[in-house]
Amino acid sequence: MGPQSALTDFLASHNISANQIRLDADARRRAAENEQDDANNQSNDQASVASIASAAPTPAVSADSAPTTRGRRAAAATLRDEEARKKEQKAIDKIKASKKFQKRKRGIDSEDEDDLARALMGRAAPLPGQQENCENCGTRFTVTAYSRSGPDGGLLCGPCSKELAKEDATKKKKSKKVTGGAVGKRRQLQSNILDGTYSLGAKSLMTLCIETLSKNIDLAEDLGDLPPSIVDKIARKLSKHRLLDSRTLSLFLQPTTDEVRVYDGAKLGSDDFIRIFQTVPGLKKLKVRNGIHFKDQVMDYLMSRHIELEDLYLHGANLVSEAKWKEFLQHKGHALRSLRIYFTDRHVNDELLSVFAATCPSLTRLKISHNQEVTGAGVAAIGDIKTLRHLSLDLRNELHSDVYVDLLSKIGAQLETLSLTRVRKANNTVLDAIHKHCRALVKLRITESDEMTDAGFVRLFRGWANPGLVFVDLQKCRQLDSARPRENPDGIGLCSNGFRALMEHSAKTLRDLNVHGCRHIEAAAFEDVFRADSSKVYEAMAKLEISFCEEVTDFVVGSVFRSCPDLRELNVFGCMKVRDVRVPRGRILVGVPNARGMVIEGDDDDDGDDDE
Amino acid sequence: MADSKYITLVSDGGFEFVVLREAALVSPTIKGMLRSQFSEAQTGRCEFPEINATVLEKVVEYFYYWYRNRDKEDVPDMDIPVEMCLELLMAADYFNLDAKPALRNMA
Repeated sequence: MGPQSALTDFLASHNISANQIRLDADARRRAAENEQDDANNQSNDQASVASIASAAPTPAVSADSAPTTRGRRAAAATLRDEEARKKEQKAIDKIKASKKFQKRKRGIDSEDEDDLARALMGRAAPLPGQQENCENCGTRFTVTAYSRSGPDGGLLCGPCSKELAKEDATKKKKSKKVTGGAVGKRRQLQSNILDGTYSLGAKSLMTLCIETLSKNIDLAEDLGDLPPSIVDKIARKLSKHRLLDSRTLSLFLQPTTDEVRVYDGAKLGSDDFIRIFQTVPGLKKLKVRNGIHFKDQVMDYLMSRHIELEDLYLHGANLVSEAKWKEFLQHKGHALRSLRIYFTDRHVNDELLSVFAATCPSLTRLKISHNQEVTGAGVAAIGDIKTLRHLSLDLRNELHSDVYVDLLSKIGAQLETLSLTRVRKANNTVLDAIHKHCRALVKLRITESDEMTDAGFVRLFRGWANPGLVFVDLQKCRQLDSARPRENPDGIGLCSNGFRALMEHSAKTLRDLNVHGCRHIEAAAFEDVFRADSSKVYEAMAKLEISFCEEVTDFVVGSVFRSCPDLRELNVFGCMKVRDVRVPRGRILVGVPNARGMVIEGDDDDDGDDDE
Repeated sequence: MADSKYITLVSDGGFEFVVLREAALVSPTIKGMLRSQFSEAQTGRCEFPEINATVLEKVVEYFYYWYRNRDKEDVPDMDIPVEMCLELLMAADYFNLDAKPALRNMA
């Protein structure tokens, strides 16, 4: 025995003999070959056996071919023939049953299946370990279990197999994209419903075109003279796919336009923002979301130009410092009509708000969202902006109700929009102030108040001189007590009577109502409000959110659909008493607590969810 | 002339497309043209000299695609050739084939 290999040594230490393994493998291989030879009905002559491949003669064969007398030999020959024929028949039957045979058969006239079976048998692939010529390139290679067969049934060498695998992979990928599968389709459908982009029937041609365009945006050099509304749609689509970068931004910068909307500026640098001001000299309205690189230097550039922005929407630009903001307001504030600032944690503070009244004589819309710095003093300063029509605050600091009461007494009279998001501590005095001062409100949002009571809401809506509201969002104005969640002795939050009063006040005009999580509105109140009665029709109602209102039942949902003829979407997440409702055609009910989660119904629903 | 089931759309260069009226009505523009007081309503023939034939053909294809799928959920997207995407977009704007081919128009 020569020197042992490391592997053999290692195996030996684990009581495994490499030699034994080799012998076993050889024996197996030989046995397999013999079987194959038999099946192939090769003559049992030793000579012919020896001529096949490299197989050694087996004991069984050599025994058979031992010299005998002529008669015995003849008898043995017929017996052998018989046996061989039987064996062949068996093998043919076996092959006929195999998948490969069935596949081949499909293309061929089934006239002589036996011939085909024989043909297949004759080409039985060599076993792993043997040498074979590659069908494709002709090189000699060792057959392994991973060798693939080529188009004509022969085996392929390693490199050729790899090529084939690559081709297959691309083919598979392509076909996958086309179908998406039943699950993928359904998932997409549900996702569309939740996005509110669902509609029955085909997509509009515009949508189809815009989708195609956004997929191939790298081919576009210029959007030509498309109308601004379409350009905006393309911008939205691109941002959705996060495709807006320095290059694609140029498509939207037309020197003649006065409006630029960057829905996703995450990939844009400061220079790109500066480029906006360079190429669009007549810019009036600018919207930037995720504008992280909208920094001081961009502000500096903006101030150095003759651009008078009327509308600025900045989202996530928290690198603009407080000093720059002030400077901006002092230089450019006079033209500003609308300013919306989101996620600018540090630098938009009380001091800045105090500057507005003096610097922005025509500001009508102010929105400050996700802000950690502004406190009561800042909000009080907003009261000095007499031109304000739309006010929206989403502050992290919890302010006392008096701040809001004071604010409303100053500017409440002309306010059209009042949006107070997450005002934990705001109480009934705020509602009373709204009742007393507001006369032009169209949109009202007060969310997550723990203090306001049902009686307060009743006082607000009953006999209110304000015309009907169009948009109301009172979500999560409810009592929260983890110890006794069901009881609400003080009537905290929007409850039955407040809800009744609201619906009475704005019955004709209300288009969008959100009472998400107002848990103490009773079933009786819902039934009252959505009674089957000609006086209780809410013609304008298009979207209604009543999720987590525990008392909502199938009956209530049915009544809602009856009394809101124009309702498109109804949300009922967490309404556990909604079980099985018939949804009218074209309406959407979202969030039914069952496995399907949402129901859409068409009357002739023959290609609904149930096929596939 | 009583309303025929079909109308004729004529593109730049005089190519004519005979289209099922109901399918073509997805476009508010065509719907407007076919209102009674216009000559198009009498002849059932709408001329679009500023739209080229290949684009109009694709638009007509869309009319039928929409018509076939108008009641279906989960409709496979129609294939839009990339090279005519922008032109088609202009045409879509012209024909007012904007978002949501209104449900209520069908009813």
